[in-house]
Amino acid sequence: MTDVAAAPDTTSVEEPGPGARLIASLFRFQSLFGLVVVFVAAVAYSPVRNGELVFLNSQNLFNVVRSISEIGILAVGMTLVILIGGIDLSVGSVLGLASVGAASLLMVNDLGVAAAVALVLLIGLGFGLLQGFAVAKFGIQAFIVTLAGMQIARGLARIWSGGQGISITYGDGPANAPVAFSLLGERTFNGLVPIPALIFLVVAALAVVLLRVSAFSRHVYAIGGNEKAARLSGVPVTRVKIAVFGICGLLAALAGIVHAGQLNFGAPNDGAMYELDAIAAVVIGGTSLMGGRGSVVGTVAGALLVGVLRNILALNNIDSNIQLLIIGLVIVLAAGLQRLRPASAGT
Amino acid sequence: MTPSIRRRGAAAFAACAVLALAACGTTSENSGQGGPSGGAAPAKCGADGKYTIGMSQANVAEPYRQRMDDDIRAAAATVPQFTVNFADAAQDNSKQVEQVDTFLSQQIDLLIISPNEATPLTAPVKRAFDKGIPVLVLDRKVDGDAYTSFIGADNVDIGKQAGQYYAKTLLPNGGKIGVLKGLAGSTPAKERFDGFTAGIQGSKIEIAATADGDWLRDKGQAQADALLKANPDIVAIYSENDPMAEGARIAAQNAGRADLPITGIDGLPIESGGIKAVSAGRLSATFIYPTGGKEAIAAAKSILVDCKKDLPRTQTLGTQLVTKDNADQVYATLNKTN
Repeated sequence: MTDVAAAPDTTSVEEPGPGARLIASLFRFQSLFGLVVVFVAAVAYSPVRNGELVFLNSQNLFNVVRSISEIGILAVGMTLVILIGGIDLSVGSVLGLASVGAASLLMVNDLGVAAAVALVLLIGLGFGLLQGFAVAKFGIQAFIVTLAGMQIARGLARIWSGGQGISITYGDGPANAPVAFSLLGERTFNGLVPIPALIFLVVAALAVVLLRVSAFSRHVYAIGGNEKAARLSGVPVTRVKIAVFGICGLLAALAGIVHAGQLNFGAPNDGAMYELDAIAAVVIGGTSLMGGRGSVVGTVAGALLVGVLRNILALNNIDSNIQLLIIGLVIVLAAGLQRLRPASAGT
Repeated sequence: MTPSIRRRGAAAFAACAVLALAACGTTSENSGQGGPSGGAAPAKCGADGKYTIGMSQANVAEPYRQRMDDDIRAAAATVPQFTVNFADAAQDNSKQVEQVDTFLSQQIDLLIISPNEATPLTAPVKRAFDKGIPVLVLDRKVDGDAYTSFIGADNVDIGKQAGQYYAKTLLPNGGKIGVLKGLAGSTPAKERFDGFTAGIQGSKIEIAATADGDWLRDKGQAQADALLKANPDIVAIYSENDPMAEGARIAAQNAGRADLPITGIDGLPIESGGIKAVSAGRLSATFIYPTGGKEAIAAAKSILVDCKKDLPRTQTLGTQLVTKDNADQVYATLNKTN
């Protein structure tokens, strides 16, 4: 009797009505809606030149996308790490290390593009795996491990480059990089779409698919939700954690290669604070720093939101210090909204 | 039901807040009029036009660069045709590239840039230059020659003058000195040192020890502490900038050497700058490292308002020795609005 009565009750909790589901998805994809709002505001407040909205000028829009592509690539990896309840403070330094590595391998060691890119990606992957190993095997907090990693990667970047940035020049002879690498530097595909933006889109799409279909995805969310429970129910926690940090390091290296290509320069000191910009994109994207809740789509929208906001503020000549205040407020607002999120909203 | 209404309210509030934030961004000048500065006519100039200048600064967190912006702002205020938009790259090459591109979207009439680093900023500066926008490069150069004019001081020369000051005035009888260098690997750190060693050539001055103070006051203090402990026989400290020299002064006081001669470079004419420190007796001397802000606006004026085309490719700014004798007078001159 009681069993029968209780049954419909539980289902009604697990399957909320359409209204509740709408609210749940509103919160889940808050940054998408935020992005729409900011975009509309940007159109409304765009300066006008010769009867054209400067903001909507295709050149300007692609500048926005290009400008967030490096942070975006970092933020995709960061999303995975944060989903398992971790954090990776080393990505900015790894970006600097990878940009130095790419420049040095191309210019000093005269490697081909494929070899140089593969080697740098391997370095990033290895760096991430080591950090993941320290976190998962020794149980050191991710914050501490990657804080150390941040120093180590920066130190390696400075040692590798001798403290000086390495300029990348293109040509056939020795001490020149193959022209193919300048694809990243020329920055456009079809004269319009920047290559870094394409790379960012591909990375994001792969991550979305990875988090939709694979067992890996279930493991990631399970570890972030409750690591002990995940371990007890047979999730290979250690392996998944190491893999996630490895992916994050790999993506940081990829962003560093893009960075070097865009600037024609391997800069040992570049990427400082990028880890915080990446975390900001993740937080605005609605991913919980406690882990287990969030999405790559949200992160992508979060990164775009910041990019559009920065652009429209700059187009309107807002003082750079005021820009910092506004972006800070948006981060707080996004985090505050997540506090209002209903507990039943799921992942 | 109630919670869902509350949440919808919160979302609406959020939307309004974002809109309101963007609303503070509107200023009267961008409300629609394209103005005569629109269009891509590169050779447009004349006294009756209105001109928007984009100023791309590498990092305003450095007092020297803040002062450069201030000098530009003050000088531009005297030219009624000029509006200056400022951008701060916060020491980030990528950000500065993006900001120059945003200036290009805004269709500025002239670009002033103090690049964070040369190579990364070369391409965007060239993009601007190729569009017919005159480009004035301040303090740090870009690669190649796709710019209109470079305005800056000569660090080797400043270092040399400092060295000669040591050889002739400060320590005519020679002695051992310590050197606080700037950030390792940075060009000015090398140039100010090379110039200095050239300046003391032939004198009896001997550099007993050098240390990297990274341009920072606290680092300068720590390094000077160690320097004074390891070499108690040094009779002066040459610091490659004023903040490190100020740090060294504290270290000297702590070591019971309050009267140790210490000199700096930069001589910023601000309250917390080197000129005031010389005036107050904390530094024995400093050498002015001019920002070029005023000169940049003068150059912009001759290009845009006076239609001059034969600007010098390089304008090298001279330095000036500041001692207790002339500190107050130099300070007043540099802050005179004219």
